[in-house]
Amino acid sequence: MDPFEVAFEDVEDLSPDSPTDDPVHVENQFLTPTNSLTSPALAASTGTNASTGNNEDEDEEEEEDNVDVNIRNIAFRRDPNKLAKTRAMLSQFTEAQTERYESFRRSRFKKADMKKLLLSITGMKTISEPMIVAVSATAKMFVGDIVETARMVMSERKDSGPIRPCHIREAYRRLKLEGKVPRRSVPRLFQ
Amino acid sequence: MSNNAAGPSSKSKAGSSQPSETTFKRKRGVFQKELQHMMYGFGDDPNPLPESVALVEDIAVEYVTDLVHKAQDIGSKRGKLSVEDFLYLIRKDMPKLNRCTELLSMNEELKQARKVFESDEEKLRKVFEADEES
Repeated sequence: MDPFEVAFEDVEDLSPDSPTDDPVHVENQFLTPTNSLTSPALAASTGTNASTGNNEDEDEEEEEDNVDVNIRNIAFRRDPNKLAKTRAMLSQFTEAQTERYESFRRSRFKKADMKKLLLSITGMKTISEPMIVAVSATAKMFVGDIVETARMVMSERKDSGPIRPCHIREAYRRLKLEGKVPRRSVPRLFQ
Repeated sequence: MSNNAAGPSSKSKAGSSQPSETTFKRKRGVFQKELQHMMYGFGDDPNPLPESVALVEDIAVEYVTDLVHKAQDIGSKRGKLSVEDFLYLIRKDMPKLNRCTELLSMNEELKQARKVFESDEEKLRKVFEADEES
């Protein structure tokens, strides 16, 4: 069964996670109607591995989709309260909101790509799977920080439409000020 | 899709004020497809601007690079890079830390479940083969 369909069909399987773990924040983000949504061409690219063509990556990608459903089932067992809240929220979504939420849930950094990046950064021969999991999760949430902050910048400037690089640069600047971006300390040359 | 992004060159880290310690050739747009979905999911247009996606990719790669290097600095005292060092670095960011620990424990649960499944499957297979022979 197409994992994309599985995700859509059974709301129960959607794990009640959010980047901020704050139901109010998530509600504000997703209950505000957006008016410029066209139907995104997601189905074609989700779940297929287009970047590298070799079999190993394809198997990994397929396994990841199945793992995704399994992980949701496990998460479902953990907190019925949170799940009830999420289901209530999801049931009130418009179609556009549901599509965006699905994109939010399903998008991820591909394991193989992240592994290559980490190998080249560290110069190590292997990277443990937990490391890839943790870094990917953190990076995704950081992208969330950037995009959400960029949207805030846009609303302050009364801009509309897709996010532009100037918004992203301002968002990045603000995140740095908040201390959310790691800086490697510059050696102090003069005291 | 434009490759002339507003961001800096593909070989150096975006906005870095220091020379990178590991210089490597990074292909442009490795994460581009997934980032488009991610940005849409987090609030951007269904079709984010290519320049924006490219810039976010540069920023995200720099973020990962700096984090991992810092984790290596911590870990180098023990001679290894471990997840614990990484988690220590993000300890102040509660949502990220919670999400990581949750995913890591799920990952572990899943591994255990798979092990059980594989050993069951192996047993079934043996029974099946024994049946076939008789």
